[in-house]
Amino acid sequence: MTPCYLVTDAPLPYCKGCGHGVILRAFGEALEKLQLPPADVAVVTDIGCVGLADSLFAAPHTVHTTHGRSTAFAAGFALADSVLGAARLKPVVMIGDGGAMIGISHLVNAALLNVDVTVLMHNNFLFGMTGGQNSAFSPMEFVTATTPGGNAVPPLDLARVLLASRASFVARKIAGDRDLAEVLARAIAHPGFAMVEVLELCTGFATKSNSLTGTQLKQVAEKAGYELGVLREERRATFGEVYKERNRSATTAAPEEKYSAAQFAAGTRVAKRLVIAGTAGERVQTAAMLLGQAAMLCGLRVTQKNDYPVTQGTGFSVSEVILSPDEILFTGIDEPDAVLVVSGDGAKELERNGVFGRVTKKTVVLADSGVDMPELPCAIRRFPFRNATAAKTAALASVAQWLSIAKALPLEALWAAIGVRFPEEAETTKANIGKMLQVAGLA
Amino acid sequence: MDSATQAAEKIKTAAPRHLVSGNRLVALGAVAAGCRFFSGYPITPSSEIFQTMIEELPRVDNGGLALAAPDEISALAYCVGASMAGYKAMTATSGPGWCLMIETLQYALITETPVVIAVVQRLGPSTGGATQGAQGDVLLTQFCTSGGYTIPVFAPSNARECFELTQTAFWWSERLRTPVVLLSDKEVGMTLESVDAESLQRGPAAERAAFSGGGRYLPYEYRRQDEPPAFAPVGGSVKVVATGSAHDREGKLRKNSAEVIDLLAHLQTKIAAHAKQMAICDADLQKNAETLVLSYGTTARAAREAVNRLRAAGHKVSLLKLMTLFPIATEAIMRAAKGCARVVVAEENLTGLYASMVESLVGKRELVRVNGIGNQISPARIVEAVERAQ
Repeated sequence: MTPCYLVTDAPLPYCKGCGHGVILRAFGEALEKLQLPPADVAVVTDIGCVGLADSLFAAPHTVHTTHGRSTAFAAGFALADSVLGAARLKPVVMIGDGGAMIGISHLVNAALLNVDVTVLMHNNFLFGMTGGQNSAFSPMEFVTATTPGGNAVPPLDLARVLLASRASFVARKIAGDRDLAEVLARAIAHPGFAMVEVLELCTGFATKSNSLTGTQLKQVAEKAGYELGVLREERRATFGEVYKERNRSATTAAPEEKYSAAQFAAGTRVAKRLVIAGTAGERVQTAAMLLGQAAMLCGLRVTQKNDYPVTQGTGFSVSEVILSPDEILFTGIDEPDAVLVVSGDGAKELERNGVFGRVTKKTVVLADSGVDMPELPCAIRRFPFRNATAAKTAALASVAQWLSIAKALPLEALWAAIGVRFPEEAETTKANIGKMLQVAGLA
Repeated sequence: MDSATQAAEKIKTAAPRHLVSGNRLVALGAVAAGCRFFSGYPITPSSEIFQTMIEELPRVDNGGLALAAPDEISALAYCVGASMAGYKAMTATSGPGWCLMIETLQYALITETPVVIAVVQRLGPSTGGATQGAQGDVLLTQFCTSGGYTIPVFAPSNARECFELTQTAFWWSERLRTPVVLLSDKEVGMTLESVDAESLQRGPAAERAAFSGGGRYLPYEYRRQDEPPAFAPVGGSVKVVATGSAHDREGKLRKNSAEVIDLLAHLQTKIAAHAKQMAICDADLQKNAETLVLSYGTTARAAREAVNRLRAAGHKVSLLKLMTLFPIATEAIMRAAKGCARVVVAEENLTGLYASMVESLVGKRELVRVNGIGNQISPARIVEAVERAQ
């Protein structure tokens, strides 16, 4: 039995002479020619008169979407089917010139991805369903409801936009072309993204305000500088093919680092709240994370919040760490137990964000010897974190220093955390920081 | 046992194992729920969900696909397409991206397409503060549809809940064939927390009810008004008709026939009818409590700490943490507020967005709003508000 594609036993819901009907018949013919199983075809329609087309197809899946987004939904079908399914589905998008402009990024991305989607762009140079308004594809001097004095903005060349977007199949045809069905069949059969723009007339509006007939469409194309015919037809791997190839060797998830409970005994029985402040790119967050992991090795619970400017790689970097034998509720720090400042950027940020204002008499404040610090209600202990180690280990050195003073955790837990996370650097880091602690008389 | 021994016991049994972010556990929760398709667009503070899915999805059983979209509209549209083709799908964004997704969200709603959107809130409006937390999109996730349909919204307050509620979001999304929002925020999403892997609960797998294959398939035919229609995938052997226009049971565009209106009402009925089952909250009620503290998301943690402090100071206070924000857990809120003289709603936005939702439930009781932006609401502020109100 011949699958039933376009229903032809009822009149199409278009004005007399409208190009949509001509194009849809050619599309139906193309489907008949290809004899694709109807279950492998999805007709995806946009908004406008062209959006009525889905109701005219009997056996294929039909999906009527939102304005301009039809290509994105179709890409979703093709992406999922090409990687997760049988890679058989052929979504065909019916979109007008209005939809093509509103959804141009979807067309560009579908072309770049080379998803197996065919886009049939019905270009009748205006918005028909809403009353014949000017579109981005209206020719110069075109008279429409919104350009009564003639269109003054040159029309977009979608074919060129998509050629520049690496589309693997691009064609521009005129509705009356005898070989339209054949070109459409080639486009649908093409394994990858295909766009066929078909120039046509809106007999409801375009021909009433402009002296224009079907035979003049070729001149319209010439004036607009539009090339006609199949402009590109080449094989390029689809996104699905590339994705499957790249991920062929994807294996089950790598085991995550686990920190078994209580390898060491914590020195603290109450929550400790720390703020570590330094410069972005100098491993402040890494130092905070190592402290957190050391605390987990002691069976403590941990939260770590990182703050940085939107630029990420410049300016301050601040980490807030809470270590606690109990469940940590509020993750903010009202009154810090310790503030570690390893650079001027860090000090400035703590001044700005109010952390210095929340320092109490009981807070332990450690600062690099070279950093300008404000007056605080507690003593500021100075250490040569940067000079004695390096800018990138200064934050970690300050953490080790704080552990030596506050004894919240044994230093061994920190060394163990470094060993888990950075096994290759563990010995040198430990030696460098150890030296600094010795200088400070705290080792 | 003296306090030192108690502390030592606690340390021994705590056993936290991983230092992970809420965002990462949203992604892993999605994988646990059977998500096989993800498309995203980078935006702070949600990007880590996207990045984790790029790493994790290719490894899942039967394969998964995660890819970058050129914008948030495409991201959600790709997901909706994949879901219509039969695969569980998710995207993640923050407020500015959510605004772009609303058109496609409504399409998912009317086409009864399951999809989960993780919205990790940041300070708004507009581009706002990319690296600052807030709970300002609560009503934006809810009142974003023409017609005022209820979009189920689940709000985690910590990393563990990110894992569990993401699965819950998938479960209801598939069960009722509806878009569902997992509403996180910068503090919940980006804060690293120690989480005991063994404590992470895996929920039951959700599957949308499939068309049995008997008789003619009417894509929007439901047996009961409060149940979703049977599902058949685009690309499957049964012809599917889908449309974002008001339609009848066959999926034909119709104006305002009784059938169409019934179908539009069904989209809300199926959610409302399951409101009670969807309501997840954590109630810690105290006998003769004068005050109920109600909160959600990151602020619920400050509320917990505030209630602990208030009780230690001798106040009678109940606590209700909401994990389902919509549909509103009316019964749970009424039960918790019973007998209280006041309800204190703490949330990190300017005017008390969720407080305005519970105002009618509070009735004659005093409604106290604890709000603010730019910083997390601290336990001290909630304590102060309760003490001042008494």
